Amino acid sequence: MRAYLSAFRMRRRLELQYRGAVLGGVICQLFFGLILVAIYRALYAGKPQDMPLSQITSYVWLQQAFFRMLLASDPELLDKIRTGSIAYDLCRPLNLYGFYYVRIVAQKMTGSLLRAAPMLVFAFLLPEGWGLMLPASFAGFAWSLAGLLLGLLCVSALENITMGFTMRTLDSRGMQALLNLLMMTLAGNILPLTLFPDSWQRVITLLPYAQLLDTPIRLYTGEYELSQAPEALLIQILWTLLLVLAGCAFWRNNQRKLIIQGG
Amino acid sequence: MSYIHVRDLEKRFVIREKRKKGALLREKKTVRALQEVSFSVEKGELLGYIGPNGAGKSTTVKILSGILTPDGGEVTVGGRVPWKERKEHVRQIGVVFGQRTQLWWDVPIRDSYDLLKDVYRIDPEDYRARLSELTEALQLGDLLRTPLRQLSLGQRMRAELCGSLLHRPELLFLDEPTIGLDAVSKLALREFLQWENKRQGTTILLTTHDMEDIVALCPRVMVLGHGRKLFDGALPDLLGRYDTVRTVTVNYEEAEATPDLPASVPVIREGKNLTISYAPREFPTAEMIARVQAAGTVRELTVQPQNIDRLVAAMYREMDL
Repeated sequence: MRAYLSAFRMRRRLELQYRGAVLGGVICQLFFGLILVAIYRALYAGKPQDMPLSQITSYVWLQQAFFRMLLASDPELLDKIRTGSIAYDLCRPLNLYGFYYVRIVAQKMTGSLLRAAPMLVFAFLLPEGWGLMLPASFAGFAWSLAGLLLGLLCVSALENITMGFTMRTLDSRGMQALLNLLMMTLAGNILPLTLFPDSWQRVITLLPYAQLLDTPIRLYTGEYELSQAPEALLIQILWTLLLVLAGCAFWRNNQRKLIIQGG
Repeated sequence: MSYIHVRDLEKRFVIREKRKKGALLREKKTVRALQEVSFSVEKGELLGYIGPNGAGKSTTVKILSGILTPDGGEVTVGGRVPWKERKEHVRQIGVVFGQRTQLWWDVPIRDSYDLLKDVYRIDPEDYRARLSELTEALQLGDLLRTPLRQLSLGQRMRAELCGSLLHRPELLFLDEPTIGLDAVSKLALREFLQWENKRQGTTILLTTHDMEDIVALCPRVMVLGHGRKLFDGALPDLLGRYDTVRTVTVNYEEAEATPDLPASVPVIREGKNLTISYAPREFPTAEMIARVQAAGTVRELTVQPQNIDRLVAAMYREMDL
């Protein structure tokens, strides 16, 4: 257990070193946040929707603030796989899936918290109808924090499966381009899932991508009522478990077939 | 049974060839990376493993370290089958892949070591003692706070070696550890390996292309070519087979000194210096020296075997590698 904790801490520290990247990320996400909010304001000015505008702007800002949680592959891990340095990690008395999983969690968590803090402050300071509103209730906020943590565990499990595929293809770019598109659309980053037609939402909210940020955001804005919270979290837990188990099996299979090329 | 026991080891790789013109599918070709390789190693041995590029050296190391599953044959290390009892097995081994890195790029190397301490569950007391022992022997003291990216190649290799030995492995695999190092670093590294082998009783298996590594370190050497074991024994025995030419250089007091030698032996004269090439099998060295001395007053005399790299090249040629 200690080894995994240690790897987690190490990766967290490493992420804290890249402060320049944080600044760049924050500026980029602020830009996207403002543009998206402006677009939804224009949409509402033309044709108001059922969903209050302040909920939509909150949704947009929370998505942008935690963007790093969704789209960021650990370049070190990809490099290890490509160059074969993974051979060293195969020589450790550890579960390799777990060893990489904690690193992914550490990277996504640290990276997104570093970016989220200044962005959330900025979004709170914006006027109503532009910025981020306070949570619907204190209980809802608490549920959304739990949901965010589960979302993190779930997205890390997804990412580790992608890593598993990278072990086979050696280069992740093509696959990632495709998966990122799915992720951006189905996680609600491009268009809030709350704006999809109801019949679509019934399906989309059950998919793993909706478990990442959509669920915690809906708990925050009050779109999910408190009575719905346990069920929402249960779906998150089920998906996380399923993805972790599938990832573990996939990695075990990979390890049996893996060939480290070259001398 | 021996500490490392390998019998009839087989490994095949399937390689997909370039699609032929007009063919629908690519053809597959099977390459036998290892065939019928057998050997055993006792605890505490220092074994050199040589062979041209692509001979199967690294493949053997990967199988022995448990990261590659062979297609046939038996392997046990300390009674365990590496790829079946991976976790227990890797706890006992240390590995240095000369071309790759196990330390974190942007982090001081000390922090990478601390992580390894937790990975191998090394007792904190023992860790401190071992780390100070290794940093002293490898002269890493000042570098512990330096991130890996700032180290030179030689420093990096020393740092990697330290990382691989922290948990006091019984068995150490070194895959081309001196690649790209300068003379001083090479000597220091060899000295360190000898020290580690003597003090800890660590069994060391070393693959290399640098014959000086083998000469300096390995009483026993194994030659691999085209996936087969071609030689296993002492280095002098191996070289003796190919050691066909030696050179004597003499510096006489007199300018006209001429040793009594058959016409077939080439002699090059430069003033008072003579260079004579001879085959020790036809002309024993003692006999050669006696004749050289009989011809005049010798001021200086050296006998040189052929350059070891040439010997190995001749050996590979003869073995058709």
